[in-house]
Amino acid sequence: MLIRIVTAVACLAIGVVLRANGLGLVQLAIFAALVVITVLMPASAAPALVIAFAAVVMTFADGNPLRIGVLVLIPLLHLVHVTSALAVVIPRKAGVEMSALRAPARRFAAVQAVALALAGIAALLPSGPTPVPLEVAGLASAALVAALVALRI
Amino acid sequence: MSRYARISDAIAASRGAHWHATDALIRAALLGGGFVVAGALMHEVELVLMGVPLLLSLLFARKPSGEPGVTVRPLPRLAEPGSAHTAADIDPATDTELVVVRLPHETRAYPSGAGTIPIEVRRDAWGPGVDLRVDHLFAGPDALHVYGPVVGVEHSRTVLPPLQYLPAGPLPPRAAGLVGAHRSPRPGDSTELRDIRAFQPGDRLRRIDWRISLRTGNLHVRERHAEADAEVVLAVDTRSDVAQDVAGWAAVEYGTTTRTGGSLDRAVRTAASLAASYLRQGDRVALVDLGRPQLNVRSGVGRRHLLRLRNQLVVCARAAGWAQRPYLPHISYGAVVVVLSPFLDNAVAEIAVHAARRGHLVLAVDSLPSPLLPDAEEPWGVAATALIAAEQRARLALMARHGVVVTTC
Repeated sequence: MLIRIVTAVACLAIGVVLRANGLGLVQLAIFAALVVITVLMPASAAPALVIAFAAVVMTFADGNPLRIGVLVLIPLLHLVHVTSALAVVIPRKAGVEMSALRAPARRFAAVQAVALALAGIAALLPSGPTPVPLEVAGLASAALVAALVALRI
Repeated sequence: MSRYARISDAIAASRGAHWHATDALIRAALLGGGFVVAGALMHEVELVLMGVPLLLSLLFARKPSGEPGVTVRPLPRLAEPGSAHTAADIDPATDTELVVVRLPHETRAYPSGAGTIPIEVRRDAWGPGVDLRVDHLFAGPDALHVYGPVVGVEHSRTVLPPLQYLPAGPLPPRAAGLVGAHRSPRPGDSTELRDIRAFQPGDRLRRIDWRISLRTGNLHVRERHAEADAEVVLAVDTRSDVAQDVAGWAAVEYGTTTRTGGSLDRAVRTAASLAASYLRQGDRVALVDLGRPQLNVRSGVGRRHLLRLRNQLVVCARAAGWAQRPYLPHISYGAVVVVLSPFLDNAVAEIAVHAARRGHLVLAVDSLPSPLLPDAEEPWGVAATALIAAEQRARLALMARHGVVVTTC
């Protein structure tokens, strides 16, 4: 139950961020329905939809790409992903030894440190039009990351 | 390969005792990769930043290898009612992070390096049963890969009927054996005076009563009683098992050896307690299953015999079922016969009366739960229950008139 409570709290925080960034009530109701399904059935596609919904809404909302809402959403979406994954293997009424969550928590912190460092680098980069060579290099880097991930899988 | 076979294979591959990917891994790969690529193509930095943690979680999480397992230390086969303790040893594979274990009273997630998990098994109901089956599931980092769920090995135990120490009932003299707590009609070496009689060839000189011999002028000897074991035969009627509620008499109760609080449960508990009480004072106790004579246990003494009797009572209760006529085998002279039955038919009452006529002290223990509750859904339920109770009372009264001592559990 602890894991699902954390998922629910993270989703609630995401909903608050989305509402603060101009999400309408109808869309918020759809998001709430997805959250309920995520908490009750973490093995469903609902967690992926929650993450995708929030990411798309924030991407197409007006404002600075590195505004506070985006920076808050980065760990929250990751948290929803991790807690949903754990909730699938830990039954709802099961007890949890806190020491069992230590390694996932450490990994979460490490990933977030890297993500925030990337956000810091992105903040330092010029925001004008990107030179074509740099764009090609960026795409190549993304392809490299995708290849690495594919090898891991 | 047909579509059905492909779906079956896919379902089988997604569970069981091997490492397999979870939906979370697919989610991280698709969303993470999708966000990064889409963000790069659309020049949306926030989309890239939201996809990066998902991709990084994939890169940081190594797929575990090896075969983890949970081994439960075995429990004793026979047990007393109550709790018992054992432990499960966790053997994690490389890069395993979490193990979820289903214990008898809870399911709990432990770190894979937890080592040994203490387990308490509790059962108060007597009879055979599966007390422990530790199902488990191992998970890798972020639960992106899992091993299981694995169905654990079933550990079954036989919980023996509980003992209530009762005062032993009246026992008759018996001409067998030379040691024991009860007086035998046969002369022996106890201190209790039996008779004074004229000296006969073969009498020991130290038994001569000199005072009476001088007074009478002839040699007289003092004869003493022998002390002998009593033999108790516990005859359990396993042909019927009825509870207090008459409506449930014909219903089958799954998952239990007997109906809790039913006639067989009460009879078995009483038989175990009587056996313990008699054996504790050194008497010989035998067990007779009136419905299944092949399950009888010969008389014996001691703690091991008590264990044997309690175990056999469980076996008798397991094999319980209707038999056309109860059967009481030949019983040695002087034995006490304790008949434990709900006395719902005449045949068992006749057996008790015949045993009393043969000279045994017979104790009839009525195990029928009282008062009987009539079937409320039947229009004749109250009348039928009253009739059953009246017939049973008449049988008990008839046995009492023929010298059978009647009592209840």
